[in-house]
Amino acid sequence: MNANIEIALTVNGTARSVTVPAGETLLETLRERLALTGAKRGCNQGVCGACTISVDGRPVRGCLTLTANCADSEIVTIEGMAIDGALGRIQLALEATGAVQCGFCTSGMVIAAEALLQANPHPSAAEIQTGISGNLCRCSGYRMIVDAVLLAAAAEER
Amino acid sequence: MDDGVSSASVGRSISRLETREKLTGAAKYIADLARPNMLHAAILGSPHAHARILSYNTTAARAVPGVHAVQTGADFPDGRMGAFVKDEPPIAQEKVRYIGEPVAVVAADNEAIARRAAQLIEIEYEELPAIVTPEDALAGNAALVHEDLANYFMVYDAVRYGNVLSETTLSEGDIEKGFAEADIVVEGEFETPAQAHVAIEPCGALAEIDDAGRVTLWSANQSVFRVQANVCESLKLPMSKLRSLTPRIGGGFGNKMEAHVQPLVVQLAIVTRRPVKLILSREEDFETVRVRHPFKIRMRTGARKDGTLVARDTEVILDGGAYGDDSPGVLGYSMLMSRGPYAIPHARAHGRLVYTNKIRSGAFRGFGNPQMQFAGETQIDEIASQLGIDPIEIRLKNALRGEGPWFLGQKLASNGFVECLERLRDMSDWKNRHRAVATAGKRRGFGIAAGAHISGLLGTGAIVRLLEDGTVVLNTGAVDIGQGSDTVLAQICAEALKVPLDRVAVASPDTDGSPYNWGTTASRVTFTTGRSVAMAAAEVETQIKELAADMLECAAADLELRPGGFVGIKGVPDKQLPLFVVSLQAHWRRGGPIIGHHSWVFDRPAVDPKRAVATGMPFRQIGVYSFAAQAVEIEIDEVTGKSEVIKAWSAVDVGRAINPASVEGQMDGGFVQGLGFALTEEVVFDQGRIVNPTLMDYKVPTARDVPHTMKTAIVEAPEPDGPFGAKGVGEIGLVPTPAAIANAIADATGARLRRLPMTPERVLDAMLPAEDADAP
Amino acid sequence: MDFHRPTETSEALRLLADDPDSRPLAGGASLVAMMNARLVEPTGLVSLAGIARLAGISETAGGVLSIGAMTRHCETASDMRLAGGRSILRRAASRIANPVVRNMGTIGGSIALADPAADYPAALVALNAEIVAAGIAGERHIAARDFFTGWYETALKPGEMVIAVLIPRTPAGSVGVYRKLARVAGDFAIVSVALLLGAENGRCTHLQVAVGGSGPAPLRLPQFEEKLVGRPLDDLDAAALGRALAWISDPVDDVRASADYRRRVIPRMVEDAYRRAVHKHGAQR
Repeated sequence: MNANIEIALTVNGTARSVTVPAGETLLETLRERLALTGAKRGCNQGVCGACTISVDGRPVRGCLTLTANCADSEIVTIEGMAIDGALGRIQLALEATGAVQCGFCTSGMVIAAEALLQANPHPSAAEIQTGISGNLCRCSGYRMIVDAVLLAAAAEER
Repeated sequence: MDDGVSSASVGRSISRLETREKLTGAAKYIADLARPNMLHAAILGSPHAHARILSYNTTAARAVPGVHAVQTGADFPDGRMGAFVKDEPPIAQEKVRYIGEPVAVVAADNEAIARRAAQLIEIEYEELPAIVTPEDALAGNAALVHEDLANYFMVYDAVRYGNVLSETTLSEGDIEKGFAEADIVVEGEFETPAQAHVAIEPCGALAEIDDAGRVTLWSANQSVFRVQANVCESLKLPMSKLRSLTPRIGGGFGNKMEAHVQPLVVQLAIVTRRPVKLILSREEDFETVRVRHPFKIRMRTGARKDGTLVARDTEVILDGGAYGDDSPGVLGYSMLMSRGPYAIPHARAHGRLVYTNKIRSGAFRGFGNPQMQFAGETQIDEIASQLGIDPIEIRLKNALRGEGPWFLGQKLASNGFVECLERLRDMSDWKNRHRAVATAGKRRGFGIAAGAHISGLLGTGAIVRLLEDGTVVLNTGAVDIGQGSDTVLAQICAEALKVPLDRVAVASPDTDGSPYNWGTTASRVTFTTGRSVAMAAAEVETQIKELAADMLECAAADLELRPGGFVGIKGVPDKQLPLFVVSLQAHWRRGGPIIGHHSWVFDRPAVDPKRAVATGMPFRQIGVYSFAAQAVEIEIDEVTGKSEVIKAWSAVDVGRAINPASVEGQMDGGFVQGLGFALTEEVVFDQGRIVNPTLMDYKVPTARDVPHTMKTAIVEAPEPDGPFGAKGVGEIGLVPTPAAIANAIADATGARLRRLPMTPERVLDAMLPAEDADAP
Repeated sequence: MDFHRPTETSEALRLLADDPDSRPLAGGASLVAMMNARLVEPTGLVSLAGIARLAGISETAGGVLSIGAMTRHCETASDMRLAGGRSILRRAASRIANPVVRNMGTIGGSIALADPAADYPAALVALNAEIVAAGIAGERHIAARDFFTGWYETALKPGEMVIAVLIPRTPAGSVGVYRKLARVAGDFAIVSVALLLGAENGRCTHLQVAVGGSGPAPLRLPQFEEKLVGRPLDDLDAAALGRALAWISDPVDDVRASADYRRRVIPRMVEDAYRRAVHKHGAQR
């Protein structure tokens, strides 16, 4: 195969086709080719979590995922988390608790927290702390974010 | 109260105005911006800590297809920038002074090409002796980091010589007499490391030049005005030729206050005549921007048997790194904080700030205060423990009360410190603390520490405009770096004009159109800018009333603003006008649009010459004081020495909480940043090279490393100078934190740690001196 | 750079053999991070994601668990067949990085990189695991103890790759403990201890202890372990084994901790892991 590869994938429900070099990360493809800048480059090493996106239903690091390896994958980014403009449960809870500060970690945090609730609908505070431990936030001290996930879980129950 | 129209704005926990933007990924940060025809830039960093640049060879880099410009120190203007001392060139010129210092910069079609080309630049160096520690810097025959120090322009009267950039001496009372009166004296040496800010957004900038040669610059920043000043000083550009703007900012903590890559992109935009964007990698952000000052502190505190503090003597050396940046301010301010929030009659502080061949130290949330309280609050705990006095009681006994005054003589117009201590005692159930049972294999401890921090400093302004339809635009030039100042300032404006919050729009800072604002720093925006907003709104109110008086045929003094956007006659409920009617009158019939503006600089002197002597203080007027006390409960693993904070409590006097949830957010976030400083964070240097410039190796706390139980009690001792009584809260959350944790470790183990971070290794060493070091 | 996504192991091996500067791409958690940092610049990538044989965990007739090289950490961390002594591996997997990275990283990728501070090496050595490696010449089994040979070095020959990891049965009633010390959640270990304990009638029947993060490869002293087997549980000097392990350790000073501290904490952690194992053993009876 040659250096540029054509990849068909679905991004936020829309079929897309991109031609990328083999080493291009999904984060670069989303940001530079598809103008989806919600996922952020915070470290490009998979540590900070600001680039967390969902691939085939699992949250992963956009910066550690090669686009060439994503043929036919279903990608969901923060831009796809509000359906028809209606915020999802995590987003609503983050808004209600006032947990959002600078916002740079928020995209990844929403994706990671949503995946956590899908796997564990009634997490304890400690389980939430573990679940979002791969998403660094330098502003909030995490307390309100954890409260927001608890709130989102409780809201679901009602 | 929340009827949707007339509800008050101040005192409500309103989510940030831009929350939805941030929740949907729509918010645009510097890396998200693009301009037509834009180039991407990359830097080449110095491999040497200290070396003379002999020659550049950029031929290979220029030959790379897609490269549009390569610029080195030889191509840049030779201006010098700096907040207190103008010592820093836009890019390394003639010499390099730290490893990673930008020596060349490339603009190319994309980032990958620019990075590859930068690596092809050849530079010939002559290595010079590297000054990597303050001891090196102070040695008799030390090489000079800046040979021209004596000729640099400085904005204050500094004592400077050799590698000493600034020396500050403060004293009040008679230190010898004070120690003579003391029954016990504790003495110790304390050491704190460089801490990295680690805003999750790395630094970056985008510059674009127009046909007339005027540059527009967007950048990750804490002050569009400091950006403008730094770029123009270093590139010798008239300030009128540069417009500085801001996108959303992904956290700052001090890192984005002074310049980072802005001069580089402006130069490239001028040379290429195309838009140029440069976003630092995380490693470059660690290696080239700035760090918290490493401190070496020698402190002595004396007390009488009854716990009365009588004397404190503090000697400090700050490692300033290669350039002055905000360092003289940090030195002077930390000296001013050396006495803590206590009435110690005899106090002296002497500090030196030295240049070294390392990344510059600069502003970082706390501005030298957390380091100083780490020492001071540890010693108060030691005295309490030696005298058998409860740690909260000894602080209450010595607390500054009422007007104070603060060290050097400034009177306190608002002071909630005693209430903070009392609230903390209650909320943490302090007296029953030792009933808690440690988990098996752990030791449990409780610690408390306190502190105060200013809000204030330098110029600020606000323009409040009433639009034709009665809505409002607020323009302050204050950059919201994520801490929520746009929301708080809008709340102040809405409250002052009694209009619903959604009728107030906040203009994005713009050096062309915003009133000057020194910056988002010094916990100052709510207090200084908020005050200007309130005053500007008051001017709008006056103009509204003058017009309405004519329209309603009454005296202006008989009018009042009414909730929901009305002006009416006091006591006559049905005599009122909607503000849009008044505004239309102003726009089309009389006087022109209603615009209120106000400018202010905090104007009370820090030093009372009748009480105190101060030399080398870079600020004359500083600000008003917020107070805080913190308690933590920790567990220490007996096997490894690793500490875990289980619970944390804070009581904070903010004058008036304009937005209580934001106050809590600042306290939580400050506490956790302080927890990282206390336990895990250290920028490690090896001969000037940063060993851990990645998030793999430099560890900030994750959600699992912090307590979920973090409680904040808000104390409101109204500040007469503040808007609705408010004062700042941005930094105080971490001021007491390292000391509180150190005191808890001492409570749990009996061991006093005087060096940060308090790693498992250091705690275990202190707990079990050499007890089990034997071989099999 | 070329990119391939074969569906058969043999095809992957052939592609790797054709271009010695190419690299197999497993979960990407380490390789892509290194590519982003320009620490490696392979000429080609052979993605293993399409090879069905490498996926998932299966149990062989003899009760051995075979963990395919492309099994992600999240799968290993949640597979309850890893019980008893074998729970060491499940717990080790659950301590790698964080949930999002565990959705990406694979056991094959992790052990092929062989970071001595990673979680799997000590766990696999303690469990007497075997690594199935395949090359053009065929397949071979390598004992975990022989697999990790140095700092980021393994017994894999050029052109070989990891196919699976075999976890043998552990003695009935045995318990496992994985004790990890790290600066913050998700960091690599300062020191890790993997310990398997079997006991009957209050006496130790099996003891397998490996220490990670303390030198180029996991530490283990089977002869010393054997001397302790047979001792009463309440009179077994695990700290002595720990001291011996510390004595043979070869740690370095790094940003996580000093070598001295590691030597000092190894016996303490081994003893503590043993205590926990005894407690677990008591609790399950």
